[in-house]
Amino acid sequence: MSSFENKKDSNEVFRIIVFLSPFIFLLFFAFLQILNLSYFQADDFKTQSESNRLYQSKIFPQRGFIYDSNDVLLVENNIQQDLQINPNIIENPSFFLKQISDLLELNYSKIESDFFIRATGKNPNEPYFLIKNLSEKQIAKISVNLEKIKGAEIISSFSRNVIHKEIMAPVLGYVGNISKQEIFNNPELTKYSGLKVGKTGIEKDLDSILRGDIGFRIQERDSFGKLVRNISIEPPKKGKNLRLSIDLELQKKLFYDFKGRKGALVAIEPKTGLIRALISSPTYDPNLLNTINDYDEVRNLFSDQDSPLFNRALSGQYPPASTLKPFVGMAALEAKTISWEKEILDSGEYLVEGDQRPYRGWKEGGHGKVDMNKAIIESSDVYFYSLAYDLTINNLSPFLEKFGFGEQSGLTIREGTGILPSRKWKLGYIGESWFKGDTINMGIGQGYITATPLQIAVAYSALANKGELVQPRIIEKIGEENTETVIKKNISLIDDLNWKRIEKSLLGVVEASNGTANNIYDRNIRIAGKTGTAQVKSIIETEYELLRVDKSLRDHALFVGYGPVEEPKLVVVAIIENGESGSAVAAPLVRKAINLYSKK
Amino acid sequence: MKNNPLSFSVNLKINRNQNQILSFDFWIVLSVIVLCFFGLAMIYSASNSLEMTVRQGIYLFVGLVGMFFLAFSNFRQMEVFYLHSFWPALFLLVIVLFFPSENSETKRWIDLGLFTFQPSELIRFILPISAASFLTRNLKTEMKDMWLVILLTFLCFYLVAIQPDLGTSLIVLLAGMLPVIISGFPWVYIYSGAFLGILSLPIIWLNLYEYQKQRVLTLFNPEADIYGAGWNIVQSKIAVGSGGLFGKGFLNGSQSQLNFIPESHSDFIFSVIAEEFGLAGVCMLLFVYGILIFRLLLVAFRSTNRFAKIVSGTLSIVLLAYISINISMVIGILPVVGMPLPFLSQGGTALIVNLLTIGIILSLRKEV
Repeated sequence: MSSFENKKDSNEVFRIIVFLSPFIFLLFFAFLQILNLSYFQADDFKTQSESNRLYQSKIFPQRGFIYDSNDVLLVENNIQQDLQINPNIIENPSFFLKQISDLLELNYSKIESDFFIRATGKNPNEPYFLIKNLSEKQIAKISVNLEKIKGAEIISSFSRNVIHKEIMAPVLGYVGNISKQEIFNNPELTKYSGLKVGKTGIEKDLDSILRGDIGFRIQERDSFGKLVRNISIEPPKKGKNLRLSIDLELQKKLFYDFKGRKGALVAIEPKTGLIRALISSPTYDPNLLNTINDYDEVRNLFSDQDSPLFNRALSGQYPPASTLKPFVGMAALEAKTISWEKEILDSGEYLVEGDQRPYRGWKEGGHGKVDMNKAIIESSDVYFYSLAYDLTINNLSPFLEKFGFGEQSGLTIREGTGILPSRKWKLGYIGESWFKGDTINMGIGQGYITATPLQIAVAYSALANKGELVQPRIIEKIGEENTETVIKKNISLIDDLNWKRIEKSLLGVVEASNGTANNIYDRNIRIAGKTGTAQVKSIIETEYELLRVDKSLRDHALFVGYGPVEEPKLVVVAIIENGESGSAVAAPLVRKAINLYSKK
Repeated sequence: MKNNPLSFSVNLKINRNQNQILSFDFWIVLSVIVLCFFGLAMIYSASNSLEMTVRQGIYLFVGLVGMFFLAFSNFRQMEVFYLHSFWPALFLLVIVLFFPSENSETKRWIDLGLFTFQPSELIRFILPISAASFLTRNLKTEMKDMWLVILLTFLCFYLVAIQPDLGTSLIVLLAGMLPVIISGFPWVYIYSGAFLGILSLPIIWLNLYEYQKQRVLTLFNPEADIYGAGWNIVQSKIAVGSGGLFGKGFLNGSQSQLNFIPESHSDFIFSVIAEEFGLAGVCMLLFVYGILIFRLLLVAFRSTNRFAKIVSGTLSIVLLAYISINISMVIGILPVVGMPLPFLSQGGTALIVNLLTIGIILSLRKEV
């Protein structure tokens, strides 16, 4: 009996041990895993637990304000309220979204699709914006019901608001999110991610000054993303304010006179280079791009055939046409290939030996016998054909270069350079050698030569200043610091009398009864100027009627003027695309600008 | 016994009978009390709720009273009671399926107004005791008795599994089968049973709920869906790992204090301990558990009574199963199944049942 009991006993103990052992092994294995986690991988997990707990969030700075020269506010920062949601807190998404859509009177299916697109594969702790730019009514409704819609939060941010929209758009530009390309070009921008940066205009050129510095807030948050406490705060630095040289009132009045026509206007103070008005038309509403809420409108803007986003004043490259004639004349006087008084017969066309084609003047039958004064006043083409022919390109190009043709004025890197052709240029770009005919065309500012309205304005400033070529400026003040006038060079002539002579002719353009811009004559204010008609395409006469129908092929109308002549306050270039007659459409704009500005 | 240096015994005199001396294992009582009070502290740390802690304290008090009551009882007198208590327990297991508490989507709890009660916890405790009692009625255990116990065990397993509560149902299976096995179920049948079990794994897999499958799959690749199914495991591992050697300090674990660990006061309380007390704390905890299990097993090994052997053996294995499975699941080496950590996790029924288990084993010790 006893031995049986013993056998039985050991059998039971054996069985207990057998069925105990798997759990002992499991526990042993678990212990090895714990050792692995909390000893060998402890540092890794400590980091993970820290990043779980600590949230570094950016505090975005307020972008600098921009004022006009009279300290009128041009760009401000609106407070935009967005609905931020924290997906981790939302228990029942469809119920939550239904509440939101009912409350805000928004389309449920759109909100739902936005929600699920944003929610997939994202960290549920990371809040994001579901609805941007809430209206006052929506904000009120949400605020009242905030308790019921758990997981929603109203977050304020700044959005850029250009007060005078279209009027200032070409000058100011707009802001937007940092693109991959921008980061590629400037890797430093990565630390500003989340911030909007300038895309064009002043916003882009002075972005680093307007931008300010991002602040940081380190917070401890629980697994629901709920704030536990603030650990540290480094406040953001507001961007610096700017004062522009633009005179808003002037800009506004001139802008309305464009009546939406395509074209550009640049008004510069010749002594200082300060730009008082800069218009490019048609234009756009920069706020549409500053706060992209409606993608359709933005798409329309980018696909508009009239390219409202293109800045014609800075980058539009037009043939300077007859506005180049004073410089050609001056070049010839300086090179002594002609004298001031020398008369040439203008019979309406100019013939060159060995060239079958006659070079026609704009006026049928010509201007008769013309000296340089009359040639400028009446804008004789034949006179300048002859002048350019005698002068040759080798003398003409270097002279024009002195006045800034063919190079950026230094206002911004976004400017066009225009084309100042030379033998070398033509060989390089067109692959042909220079023909005499090219020089002849260039005599009246046609052919290969192009210039931006800004370049023309700078060149005429040098005429108004009798030699001082200033660098144009649009920023008067950065923060508390005033910018200073930069005189790029002083153009010296062999005969200083030539400044006076040319100015006299330019005065004649407006004041003489035979002047091409006599229509804007005003006895109270003496304006010197020059009309121009830039050919869009060389025209064969029979096609002329056809062109009247197709507006986009009509000539561009130009006028450059400065005044009052005694003490020039403003140089103004106006170009109306397809406007045909410089005196009729462009000159009145220039006179108005000078009138308005001199009265100040 | 008296010569064993490992044990120091407290001799208590029972008034009723001067000759009857209850020698009672102080190591077991001490380790259980240490675990329970440590558990209260950890529940407070994990939940930050004084109410929940006090509630658990009340359960602890009730459990301790029950434990000492059973410890001082004479198990031979109680055997008949144990044998028949199976039926009311089974009845409750059926009742819960028809009248479950409405606070949960599963049918695990009976709502008694002031507190809720989990019949499955009761059955996994009653079943092995009454089975042991039934199997040791006669000197020799008969095969037909064994088959009857197996049949009833599968019935209980089924009733718990459909609640659904996969973790506890497997424990019920273990708790019901062990008395049969220990009392001498032929090895041939055990082998074939295990073989059949392995064969039926695909069928079991197909019958699992989607969330249960997800938990198994998550085990192999928790990082695949960090914010979904893998969240619990990933966060719990971070907690254990970031505790390091000495932990972040009591009430200072960021993972638990900031709610990154789910169910931190109940099934995942181990990760809170590991985070706040580190590897050192885990070693201490395992050491205390080790003493407890060792002393409980000694009862089984030393007892000359078959009933005592079977009951203490079974209940010790079940306790160890709870500990090892819970810890393994929290650190991501077993799928997440609802299984509390004995004496530590929040939950009234489990705590009381575990204390009663200790009480019974203590009473068996008289036979040593």
